[in-house]
Amino acid sequence: MIKIRRLTHVYPGARRQTPRPALLHFNLHVEEGEFCVLSGPNGSGKSTLFHVLCGMLLPSAGSVTIGGYDLFRVPRMVRRITGVVFQSPAVDKYLSVGENMALYAALYGRSSKAVGLAEALEWTDLKNRLHQRVNTLSGGLARQLELAKCLLTRPKVLLLDEPTSGLDPASRRNFLEMLKSIQRKRAMTVLMTTHIFAEAEEAHRVVIMKDGQLLACDTPSHLRSSMGREMVVVVPSNPEALALALKQDMDLNPLRFGDELRLENVGTTESLSLLETILSRYRSQIHSVAIKQAALEDVFIHLTGHSAGIHPPHSDSGPLESGFLGKGNEESGRPVETEQ
Amino acid sequence: MITVHATAALAQREFTRFVRQPQRVIGSIGQPILFWLFLGTGFTGSFRPPGMEGISYIEFFYPGVLLMLLLFASIFSSITVIEDRDQGFLQSVLVAPISRLVIVFGKILGGALIALTQAMLFLLLAPFIGLVLSPAGTALELILLLLTALGFTALGFLCAWSMKSTAGFHAIMMVILMPLWLLSGALFPIQHVPPLLRLVMETNPVTHALVILRLPFYHAAEQLLSDKDFLVSLFIVVIWVMASIWLSVLRIEKREKGISY
Ligand SMILES: Nc1ncnc2c1ncn2[C@@H]1O[C@H](COP(=O)(O)OP(=O)(O)OP(=O)(O)O)[C@@H](O)[C@H]1O
Ligand SMILES: [Mg+2]
Repeated sequence: MIKIRRLTHVYPGARRQTPRPALLHFNLHVEEGEFCVLSGPNGSGKSTLFHVLCGMLLPSAGSVTIGGYDLFRVPRMVRRITGVVFQSPAVDKYLSVGENMALYAALYGRSSKAVGLAEALEWTDLKNRLHQRVNTLSGGLARQLELAKCLLTRPKVLLLDEPTSGLDPASRRNFLEMLKSIQRKRAMTVLMTTHIFAEAEEAHRVVIMKDGQLLACDTPSHLRSSMGREMVVVVPSNPEALALALKQDMDLNPLRFGDELRLENVGTTESLSLLETILSRYRSQIHSVAIKQAALEDVFIHLTGHSAGIHPPHSDSGPLESGFLGKGNEESGRPVETEQ
Repeated sequence: MITVHATAALAQREFTRFVRQPQRVIGSIGQPILFWLFLGTGFTGSFRPPGMEGISYIEFFYPGVLLMLLLFASIFSSITVIEDRDQGFLQSVLVAPISRLVIVFGKILGGALIALTQAMLFLLLAPFIGLVLSPAGTALELILLLLTALGFTALGFLCAWSMKSTAGFHAIMMVILMPLWLLSGALFPIQHVPPLLRLVMETNPVTHALVILRLPFYHAAEQLLSDKDFLVSLFIVVIWVMASIWLSVLRIEKREKGISY
């Protein structure tokens, strides 16, 4: 549905700055009916990509087709089937909620009493505020309006740039559930950026980019297992005693989190046998035991080398094969183990 | 159909926003009235141009104030172009599946209708200085006012589109839009100025807008529609309006492009 080929964009910067590409040879195909989440550190080019996709920026090079239409030749055909939610506010502050919705519907050639109004507002807290002006809404409520209005026009393709920033957890969940159910019902193609990995877990595919380039693109579970590392979490009746026992009997160094013991950085092949051994030896002392995959967030930090201040993996060792930098490792100050 | 609907919705939005900002309403109606009363009464004693005996300055200046009113209303509307961009609303409009002409025309029409409303209020004052319009004359005058307002708002739109800040727009307005009015014959009759200035004034489309706005007060509408001078000025104004709209559409069709790398 969305085909992006070798997209490169360089902003015409100030004269003294050397121009830096905001997007560099970016390739991505999003299938029809797919829910694709895009993530990357701040300044990695996500919003730039969005502005290109919604036809507001002409890129330096590359091609984009949406729904079979060439974005740069027939932008109007593309606009007809696309809905966009921008990272920044895009509603009229002096109009009321209802007036904004009606205006937006009119721009897409729908009547102000569009059938979708109830559906679009269903998940929001705006139902009883149709006559309230937008400049008297709270930031989160105004954000809800932005999201509601993009659902109003029943687009085939929906582009969302950090849609849930500023929403409270309940509204965020309501919106995502609404979005997903509409997405499934209408086989809508969704491309959404987010920094919240709980949202990415729900996606069919997660794309991680940095410095305008694609680092990884896969399903959430593949991405997580591609880390090659898992964590065994044990909840014993007496954590201290078990920790000591594990150290002495099996030469393991569990980390303690509350009444949990975590054995991190275990290879995917060994984790099951480790669990079995622990269970067989210490069954009587254990309340529960589980294997946890690396979180998407860990994959993100690992790939982008962002908060840890390390550099991203070089291209000669494929991005997903290099070492695992677990969260617990940083916290406990243990040296980072890197196994190839 | 979608085109008409979307244009009307965009124009209506301009109007709603205008009414919801009371300062804008008061400022844009009060200012021309004050100009007219102060300048008009001040000059009336000393101003007696040859060939215009029998016309007081306050009467001479009246169509000029109408023109000024349209100009200022349009400038205020054009400033909202910059506000729309700053507040992000413009993004929503630009990604909508409507032609760029609809975006331009919705904005311009909304601004022009606001200006026309103000002008209509000001027209109510005309009988007090002895300027009386027949029903046909009123209809003609209103059409001409709308046309002129479209010209000004389109020109304002064109100037405002590339502006990053309202402060910058104020500067541009003072060096481009104000002189158009100053050199239109609103303040002084065109007949007695030096030849070079006269040439400049005659090429100024706003001068012709003033001509067509002034005539219905003194001649019957039917008579004007067969008057060559009137028709020539009307033609020039129409060209001005169409050219400004066309240039505005060309301007907003140009998208920001990345540099090659
Ligand atoms: N209008 C602009 N002119 C020049 N450079 C820009 C412009 N907009 C963005 N950039 C640059 O392009 C790069 C990518 O920015 P972009 O806004 O696409 O990042 P992002 O991934 O959306 O970040 P965030 O997560 O903070 O929203 C940045 O280096 C930014 O400084
Ligand atoms: Mg962004």
